[in-house]
Amino acid sequence: MLECRNVDAGYGKVQILHGLDFVVPTGGLSAILGSNGSGKSTAMKTVAGLVKPTSGEILLDGHRIDELGAHSMAAEGLSLVPQGKEVLAGLSVEENILVGAYHRRKDRHGVAEDLEMVYQEFPRLRTRRKAAAGLLSGGERQMLSLGRALMARPRMLLLDEPSAALAPKVVGEISDIIRKLRGRGLTMLLVEQNVSMALELADEIHILREGRFAYSRKNGPDVDIEELREFYLGKGRS
Amino acid sequence: MALLPQFLANGVVIGSSYVLVALGLTLIFGILKIVNFAHGEFYVLGGYLAVLGSQLLGFPPLPALVLVIVCMAAFGWGVERFIFLPIGKHDPTNVIIASFGLSILLQNVFLKVAGPEPMIAKSGLPAGAIRLGSVFLTSERIAIVAAAAVTVTVLLVVLRFTWVGLSLRALSENATVARISGINVRRVAVVTFMIGSSLAGLSGALMSSVFMVQPGGGVLVVMKAFIVVVMAGMGSIEGAIVAGLGLGVVEALVTGYLGSEMRDIIGFLIVIAVLAVRPQGLFGLKTERS
Repeated sequence: MLECRNVDAGYGKVQILHGLDFVVPTGGLSAILGSNGSGKSTAMKTVAGLVKPTSGEILLDGHRIDELGAHSMAAEGLSLVPQGKEVLAGLSVEENILVGAYHRRKDRHGVAEDLEMVYQEFPRLRTRRKAAAGLLSGGERQMLSLGRALMARPRMLLLDEPSAALAPKVVGEISDIIRKLRGRGLTMLLVEQNVSMALELADEIHILREGRFAYSRKNGPDVDIEELREFYLGKGRS
Repeated sequence: MALLPQFLANGVVIGSSYVLVALGLTLIFGILKIVNFAHGEFYVLGGYLAVLGSQLLGFPPLPALVLVIVCMAAFGWGVERFIFLPIGKHDPTNVIIASFGLSILLQNVFLKVAGPEPMIAKSGLPAGAIRLGSVFLTSERIAIVAAAAVTVTVLLVVLRFTWVGLSLRALSENATVARISGINVRRVAVVTFMIGSSLAGLSGALMSSVFMVQPGGGVLVVMKAFIVVVMAGMGSIEGAIVAGLGLGVVEALVTGYLGSEMRDIIGFLIVIAVLAVRPQGLFGLKTERS
């Protein structure tokens, strides 16, 4: 379970997030929607430890993680899947996957096992495992990022705009993978601009606007798409 | 043409020292993004430490080299921790200026402590030239090539096949991905700086039994190292090895056939030509940095 309690965060003197407060229950999938500049990337970076909150607390399974820093998160069971372009371009595909297991590098047997698991999940990565990651297509990079994150054996996955800059067919593939991972009990936080992807996958939907939640509802058949769209586009009032 | 093999051998000796100095410089640049203009003084400091170990303390060759490596690693740690880290916090470009300052500071410390007289280290190796075919080399010069070859091999194996190497290369590619993968960027930065200064010091120590050690000796060395690093492509390890040896050989041929006054010019001419054709360097990847 991920808990964000009244989190403020920003860069230097510029405050971006104002009192962000939400919970992702264990095994749940929450989506944060927002347009460019709404603060959703900052929200993701703050949970991942890349940006330090100026106030508030973040807890993973009851354990505070907001003071640890990004490099400790993998060991805490939280993995970030950054936007697709963020790979180690000059390193091979296999090295990119392996680096995700850095914090448990002493467990040689387990690392080899998980590498095999990632290859079974993403056969395309196996065929290209010697290639430089910079040569991969957008969809392949997204899979590589997912594979790397899974190598940490996380309990919680943070997905930063997995659909960005991908062809619709590839977005469908990524959605299938996310659904499958959910089936295994992974807790997930999804940050997206793609409303239909969020509606398709999430249990709970938040809309972020100017660093505050303007909308937070359980997802279900009774969600009013028109209302959601208005909040997303910035016309609705909470 | 009868002298060609001798010139080539001389070039490989000088080139080996360029490789070691340039590897340190390119590692520190590639991973920490620090352009260290004081790197030449690190080389000189290694030379003085070798003089200290071999002349004053009377150490045999290997223990003297170990002393140099340990002291240079500690020195690199201190420089990173107490100078570059605090200064770079506000603005990373300040570090470049700080490294210039450190360079001048160290030159004057050398002058004050060791004096202006050039010194030479006692290698403890058998005197006299060794003949290899038509090539004559002193045992010190052969030791330089051998030590460089061993060091470079170890470095390449560590970078390519160990977790430490993977963390270093990951950080040089993308700091964010490295961090979220669980790599402690601070720790890797410190280790990189320690390795980089040890490499410079080791090169200075090896060369100190062949060339004089003097307070201002690092200025030309750092320029040569920059030629190698820029020509190879900033941050490229394999490139630095090829370009370092290449520069040494070209300089030796130029000295032999055209005269020594051309020696220090040729490298700069080559680097200008390379940059005109391949701005990313010979081995640099043509990537856009986001």
